[in-house]
Amino acid sequence: MFALLAAGQVSANGAIGDHVNDLKGHLAQYSEEVNWLLGKYDGVVGTYEKQGQKAVDTQDLVDFWEEVDFHSAIETNYVPVYANIWQGIYGIKQAIEAGKPAAEVRAEQEKLNSAFWQALGAVKLASQYQEKGLLAKVQTTEAEPTTMPETLEDIKHRLDRVVAKYAERLPEAATTIVHDTYLNRFEGVEGALIEQDAALVEDLEKDFNVTLPKALESESSVDSVRKVVEAMQVKLDKAKALLVEAEKNRKDVF
Amino acid sequence: MQRRNFLNALAAVGALGSLPLSVSRSFAAGAAADQGRVAVNSGAVSVDQLPPLEGDLTLYLGRGEGGLYENVLEAIRKRNPGLNLQVRRGSTAALANSIVAEAKAGVRRADLFWAVDSGAIGLVADAGLARALPADLTGQLKSGFRYPRWAPVTGRIRTLPYNTERVTPEQIPDSVMALADSDLTLGWAPAYASFQSFVTAMRLLEGEKATADWLRGVSKHATSYAGELGVVMAVERGEVDLGFANHYYTLRLKNGKPDASVDLAFTRNDAGCLVNASGILALSEGDLPINFMRYLLSREVQSYLASEAYEIPLVSGVQPPQGLPPLGSISPPKVDLTELADLRPTLKLMRSVGVL
Repeated sequence: MFALLAAGQVSANGAIGDHVNDLKGHLAQYSEEVNWLLGKYDGVVGTYEKQGQKAVDTQDLVDFWEEVDFHSAIETNYVPVYANIWQGIYGIKQAIEAGKPAAEVRAEQEKLNSAFWQALGAVKLASQYQEKGLLAKVQTTEAEPTTMPETLEDIKHRLDRVVAKYAERLPEAATTIVHDTYLNRFEGVEGALIEQDAALVEDLEKDFNVTLPKALESESSVDSVRKVVEAMQVKLDKAKALLVEAEKNRKDVF
Repeated sequence: MQRRNFLNALAAVGALGSLPLSVSRSFAAGAAADQGRVAVNSGAVSVDQLPPLEGDLTLYLGRGEGGLYENVLEAIRKRNPGLNLQVRRGSTAALANSIVAEAKAGVRRADLFWAVDSGAIGLVADAGLARALPADLTGQLKSGFRYPRWAPVTGRIRTLPYNTERVTPEQIPDSVMALADSDLTLGWAPAYASFQSFVTAMRLLEGEKATADWLRGVSKHATSYAGELGVVMAVERGEVDLGFANHYYTLRLKNGKPDASVDLAFTRNDAGCLVNASGILALSEGDLPINFMRYLLSREVQSYLASEAYEIPLVSGVQPPQGLPPLGSISPPKVDLTELADLRPTLKLMRSVGVL
């Protein structure tokens, strides 16, 4: 999990806020916000249950989440759960808009609640790492990885953001991240990687240029996109191991 | 071991005494003062003959080949504990624009700019921000790669990777322009920066109309790929007969897959075999930035980038990467590489014919 605690990133939703660099000092606020969110979503679902679809404005479901500081705390520290939260919000939203039975909407709400609690746990853990100085300060500008293993970790993190943006119903933003990641990151390591495993590069080339963009274009479920990304991340881990080993055998400059 | 071989080789030709002398004299001399007085083409110098680097330096570094440029910087740091080297990384084009913008604002944050693309170097040089270089430094570079205000570090050649099971070398024209009318299926990456530099070179050499005609002609039988490694892999798979790509992708693929069905062809005297370069320029005065540049042109760094990144050494006397014909046997066109900075008309042209 520590590897997934990512610093050095920029929120796509505007200013992050200084609070993300003092998580411990804001844990009480985050807990309060999570409880507030749970109540708000419960209220919307309760209204739907009692008064039907017309009594509910589903845009509120998105607005509640965007209103809280906890939003950027989790976005900057644990993107996979961030994606789950968006997936949960849209699970409720779409179920209501489709006029699904209240029990089905409640089931979606349960998934969202779980994601919130998981997120709060992740932020608490991140605050401990931060307090021990093990978590880099969240940057407001993009940090450049300097080694190939760092680059591959950065790619994996960017792919998590692809899922998050897709779950947030921003497929174009997700596709842009895929293209940028390929051109600005993967291109820099694939030359060295192809010397180690040409088939792996071919596979990842296809993932970056065909499989993932098509999954984003074809209105697949968030889970389908996540599966593509997770499969890529496994390949990227293999790539990292190969490049770390190759680097050991590389000759010295001087 | 490598260093010892080099010193032995120098001793064998009686050069051991003379080379350091010419180099050391230039360290003390003013940059432009030595122009014309120091012998050119002195060839690669070992780091053992370079002065230690001491003081503060800020380098703007365009993205390099994986972490290999970083390895070079780290090695220089280790060798020079008195050097406080700060590095700002980013895309080459963005850093070039930053340097120009900072200069307009009356500030200078970078002492050196190491760019992967000579076009970006041209952008900064054209703004009058690059310092003149001493003649002994530029004289180390191969003929055709000596510029007064920037130093190419390593080169890359435009090549035609072809599928050896689908095409014979005799079927490949030695003119890139002829490919527009050939019946070969082609792979290209029009959105790729290196391809756009190649089209810029074609535009400068052949003119706007001929380049537009060529783009239209090729687009009829070309498949597009996101990057040039993708082009080379498509050629190897047999999706297309032949592609347009920088040389190192093919060499690296063949290193990882020795039985790959791909080989390299070269055109002659046209943009199809353009030798483009990464390069470095100094923005601030003093010996330190210039001496830092000498490290990049040293025999050791040049050899490292040739063997590990398959880049072409542009300093005389260093072996090119394996699998590539000697630079002397290739006939690249005569193009001032800094003119490749003029990208806007190229993009306009490519958009007007519908390939972007």
